[in-house]
Amino acid sequence: MSIKRSLPTATLSGFALSAVLILTFLKILLQNIPTSMQRAGDSLLTLNANEGVANAVTTVVVYFRGFDTLGEIAVLFIASLGIGLMLGENERCVIKAQSNFMLHTAAQLLFPIITLYGIYVMSYGHLSPGGGFQGGVIVASGVLLLLISHRDFEVPHSFIVTLETFAGVAYVLIGLIGLFTLDVFLGNFLPHDVRQMGMLLSGGIIPIIYIIVGIKVGSEMSMIVQNLIKRGDDV
Amino acid sequence: MIGFIVLLIFVGIIIVAFSAIIQSSLADSIILFMGVGLGSVVLFFIFKAPDVALTEAVIGAGISSLIFLMALKHLKAQV
Repeated sequence: MSIKRSLPTATLSGFALSAVLILTFLKILLQNIPTSMQRAGDSLLTLNANEGVANAVTTVVVYFRGFDTLGEIAVLFIASLGIGLMLGENERCVIKAQSNFMLHTAAQLLFPIITLYGIYVMSYGHLSPGGGFQGGVIVASGVLLLLISHRDFEVPHSFIVTLETFAGVAYVLIGLIGLFTLDVFLGNFLPHDVRQMGMLLSGGIIPIIYIIVGIKVGSEMSMIVQNLIKRGDDV
Repeated sequence: MIGFIVLLIFVGIIIVAFSAIIQSSLADSIILFMGVGLGSVVLFFIFKAPDVALTEAVIGAGISSLIFLMALKHLKAQV
């Protein structure tokens, strides 16, 4: 069967029409960007002082460009979904190789420390370098260590689903509360006094959102790693 | 002094990256790719980007290489 028969004319013309419509819409949108969205660089750094967050990078990632971060974690979710779809059908593999005694003991010793460090990086994202993405991946690497060293260990799927759903819904809810109270999506509706800058409780919603991002990234990365290790042929 | 260290790391990264390309075994290439990640962590830190350095250390040198290794394992099982 030729490719011409499998793509009928109606589908192709519909595709072309929607492409033209999207391009027109984008052109109208790009011509009328409000001036408040065109700020970058120094003017964003000047604005950062109003939010009471010590790490200016966090303010840009989570607050000024917060909707982009929501899109980024959606991309990570789609990657996790794709790996789950490709490998989820396979049977659970049986890892025949017995893990060495030293790896077994060291993993039990190191896992709490790695998890604690991940939570520290997540919750201090607004004060020091780091944040949700890095902290989430550190927690997932701790899960990876346990998966390698303990044959029977598996993170329960329902637990991951609960955590990830909670994080995604909470992110959008916080954004919508900001939209209804301050007329800005992800508006900072909690108190953020500049005099509190540098304290753990400062910056209003910014640390809360970064912790939510950390929970979501951590659960997605753990699921990716677990699917890659546990599903597939016997080792 | 810092400039000399940066130059040394640059040359090291280029050598490691080139040897990662010319390896015949894919597993060796992945291990050398981790070396490229480690070198760039130091560079990012010197170039005043600690956030990016932490991300690169965790994702570039850690998880992504392990995901590559796991994908290699699945590929070998299929062929």
